[in-house]
Amino acid sequence: MKMKVMSKYSISILCSILAFGLTSAQNNVEEKKPNIQQDSVVFQEKYGLRFGVDISRLARTAFESDYSGFELNADYRLSKKLYTAGELGFEEKSTSTSYLDSKAKGNYFKAGIDYNLYENWLGMENLIIGGLRFGFSSFSQTRDRYTIYDTNGQTWGGIINEDSKEFAGLTAAWLELIFGIKAELLNNVFLGLNVQIKARLAEKSPSNFENLYIPGFGRTYDSSKIGTGFSYTITYLLPIYKKTRIQKLSEEDNEKTAVE
Amino acid sequence: MKKILFLYILTSLVSCEPDDICSENTQTTPRLVIEFFDIENFEAPKTAPGLFAVGLDDLGNEVTILGEVVNSRSIIELPLNGSENQTQFKLYSNYDIIDNEVEGNPDVITIAYETESFYVSRACGYKNNYSIQGFSIEQDIDLWMISTEITINEVTNENESHVKIFH
Repeated sequence: MKMKVMSKYSISILCSILAFGLTSAQNNVEEKKPNIQQDSVVFQEKYGLRFGVDISRLARTAFESDYSGFELNADYRLSKKLYTAGELGFEEKSTSTSYLDSKAKGNYFKAGIDYNLYENWLGMENLIIGGLRFGFSSFSQTRDRYTIYDTNGQTWGGIINEDSKEFAGLTAAWLELIFGIKAELLNNVFLGLNVQIKARLAEKSPSNFENLYIPGFGRTYDSSKIGTGFSYTITYLLPIYKKTRIQKLSEEDNEKTAVE
Repeated sequence: MKKILFLYILTSLVSCEPDDICSENTQTTPRLVIEFFDIENFEAPKTAPGLFAVGLDDLGNEVTILGEVVNSRSIIELPLNGSENQTQFKLYSNYDIIDNEVEGNPDVITIAYETESFYVSRACGYKNNYSIQGFSIEQDIDLWMISTEITINEVTNENESHVKIFH
């Protein structure tokens, strides 16, 4: 029940971000009639909604027995270099150590911006992305087994507790830096790769236990609030409108054209 | 090809997890620390000569304590049985084995306690802490321990002695 509420919440946030993108983009629609000069080249750049899935999570779900997950991602182009972007996902991950077995399960969303650092050649629309996200996860953790750690030998035999216990209603929030690429392989179809560095801002931990894995954030470390992640994405760009980009040719290019 | 290799390395770096090993410095389940004092001077620690401890299970069978050796000392650490609410030990003074016969004076102590488990870390799992409810010496005709005093009820670490035995 909580999860449903959670996903509704995150979907509405994602929608409002996209809606914000749409309205602000519409303001830019009033295109100036380009004054085309002979020493410049005109190109129509595509603006629209790009959406897709994380194929690495699908692959891990298929090949890793302790993992299942799914992530939708979307971005909307605001200006030449700026995109509003977000992800929505579900993850379930088992963690097993010599002394603990536990499983985390829940939903998450991430919202923020992507900035294209790449100056494309005319006619190409690839991206090298630096991005920033705010992430939020709502999840539960189930502890299936734990062992009492006793450095002083097993004089009395080890103590293993196998009473399964679920800790529900856990949450976590984090900030995320993204660095990645998106390349247009086919018309409007992009293949992307990115790596993420995350810093946990806040979390609700279970009593007498800790969050070993946070859906969307990944595994946690004892020594820091830092996490890492990666995605391979396949996305489709739904073009909504086009914007003219005029590139002035440099003198060198002019000479070349002249020679030709 | 180079690109694929690069992606592979990047992925393996990101997904690689360091081995989580419980550090020896981590305070995990503590042992009960008993310190021996002089019956004639309550403030003065007094060495128990040839001290040696064995555990007793609930049927009265002797259980070897790992790492325990005969040694004259004034402090001994004893592991409590975390799956029971009391543990018995046989403490020998002047322990020796002569012609396969155990020599020395054994006194039996009983520690009653409540157990609580606390989360330590991903690598160490949980630890037990104990709350001492009672400490007694079983009567016999030749006791070398004369009286006891519980100084710290909560057994959470081994830094200080929890029980004093006067002899």
